[in-house]
Amino acid sequence: MIEMHNITKYYDNFRALNDITLTVERGEILGLLGPNGAGKTTAMRILTCFLPASSGSATVAGYDVFEDSLEVRRRLGYLPETPPLYPEMTVKAYLNFIGEIRELPGNLRERRIDYVADRLGLIENLGRVIGTLSKGYRQRVGLAQALLHNPEVLILDEPTVGLDPNQIIEIRGLIKDLAKDHTIVLSTHILPEVSMTCGRVVIINEGEIVAVDSVANLEKNAKVSPSWKIVLKPAAGQQWRDSIDRCDSAHISDIKELGDAFEFKLELTRNDMFDELFTSLTGGGAVFREISPARATLEDIFLKLTSSEERKEEE
Amino acid sequence: MKILAIMKKELQAFFFSPIAYIVFSSFLAIVGYLFWVILVTSKIATLEPMLYNAAFILMLASPVLTMRLVSEEKKSKTIELLLTSPISPFQIIVGKFLACFVLYLVLMILTLQYPLILSMYSKDFDVGPIYSGYLGLVLLGAAYISFGLFASTLTENQIIAAMVSFGGLILFWIFGWARHAFENDFGELLGNLSLFDRYAEFLRGIVDSGNVIFFVVFTMTWLFLATRVLESDRWR
Repeated sequence: MIEMHNITKYYDNFRALNDITLTVERGEILGLLGPNGAGKTTAMRILTCFLPASSGSATVAGYDVFEDSLEVRRRLGYLPETPPLYPEMTVKAYLNFIGEIRELPGNLRERRIDYVADRLGLIENLGRVIGTLSKGYRQRVGLAQALLHNPEVLILDEPTVGLDPNQIIEIRGLIKDLAKDHTIVLSTHILPEVSMTCGRVVIINEGEIVAVDSVANLEKNAKVSPSWKIVLKPAAGQQWRDSIDRCDSAHISDIKELGDAFEFKLELTRNDMFDELFTSLTGGGAVFREISPARATLEDIFLKLTSSEERKEEE
Repeated sequence: MKILAIMKKELQAFFFSPIAYIVFSSFLAIVGYLFWVILVTSKIATLEPMLYNAAFILMLASPVLTMRLVSEEKKSKTIELLLTSPISPFQIIVGKFLACFVLYLVLMILTLQYPLILSMYSKDFDVGPIYSGYLGLVLLGAAYISFGLFASTLTENQIIAAMVSFGGLILFWIFGWARHAFENDFGELLGNLSLFDRYAEFLRGIVDSGNVIFFVVFTMTWLFLATRVLESDRWR
């Protein structure tokens, strides 16, 4: 549905995107993840025909963003970083204006306005002037604008920014729901958002793609050793530290004393060593009060990928 | 249709903000005062001095109406919405021009009370120069608006847009003086670009097709350039 081939974008001498190649399938939700200034917005602006790429090509729904810009724009719904609203208009007048420039005929326009207003909880606010709405409601009006013409492709730049936690959950649910018949690209720098909504993640840093994979695969493949958070109450006089240190593949850190027990982080380079270690500790009379696996989170992966990039550049 | 949508939206914006009302009321107050003071001192049933002054006041007032047209969209990033919608920069510019032009025509209609008053009190009063004067004023308005609209596409700062159109329009107004300064072809060329010289002929009751074409071409040129600037923004 969306293809980007070797897209590079320069702003004067600053390279915002470097050789980005990317495919998004129909019905997929793709998350663009990256720190601020990584090039997420630039990539989206190229897809929405707002900015031309310096080199490379991109197609949306089979149309070239440069050659057939009008056809691409007909098929797109776009929510920019700042919701593009006219504060002096009422929500209804605004959506009606969007419907007109989006080529929706009169009766269909009415129906679509009612539909998106219903989906986004805006029915009661249709008559209100946009300038008087709260940030969360403005964001919803921005989303309503992007959905109004039922586009094949939705491009959402940080769709949940400025919303309160309840609204964030609602909007995420809505986005997932929309993926049934839309292809969605969304950007964010909030990690849980990606794990919750996106099927696939593209991590961008300094204009380059550093990883493309599903959230699950990213977590699995990140070369972070399995680790556990453990709260252990040793038997009186038990040399529990020695038992762990004897095991070559074990490493403990962040040791804290909690009264009669100890809390620490255990890392094992070999997963199968866990049973042995467990038996030797309980055999010595220790009691485990808590064992919780600490899975590598997107945060770890993200830090690892983006900081290794920095190292590469220093060399 | 999309041009009409843009035009409707702009008209709404004009009447929502106080700018249109302020421009309207101060213009009508000044013109009303001029009409009275000129008529009482000269005791001649002619609108020529009033129309001449009205044109000058409109030159100062129109940048205030046009300055926000594109600058505001750039500032509030709504331009991103327009340029990613299936609408062309040409449609955007023409829609905005028409909205402002409609506003200008309304303003012209509101001044028709003065020729009406004159015709009530004067027996043999020459309507020819009034028709041609108003035609000139309408064409002049199109020229002012197109230039102001062009200035508005250059920047996201409305004050800068207004200053550029003030400066540019005043230059075009007084280009005619170059005729006397140079007394050569260059002076003649600059003089031909003078808005004032062209408009002055309308006030004398002369509708020269050359002058009409000049105003139409002048307007289209600036609208075309405004479209190009809006398109070229993407390349920066």
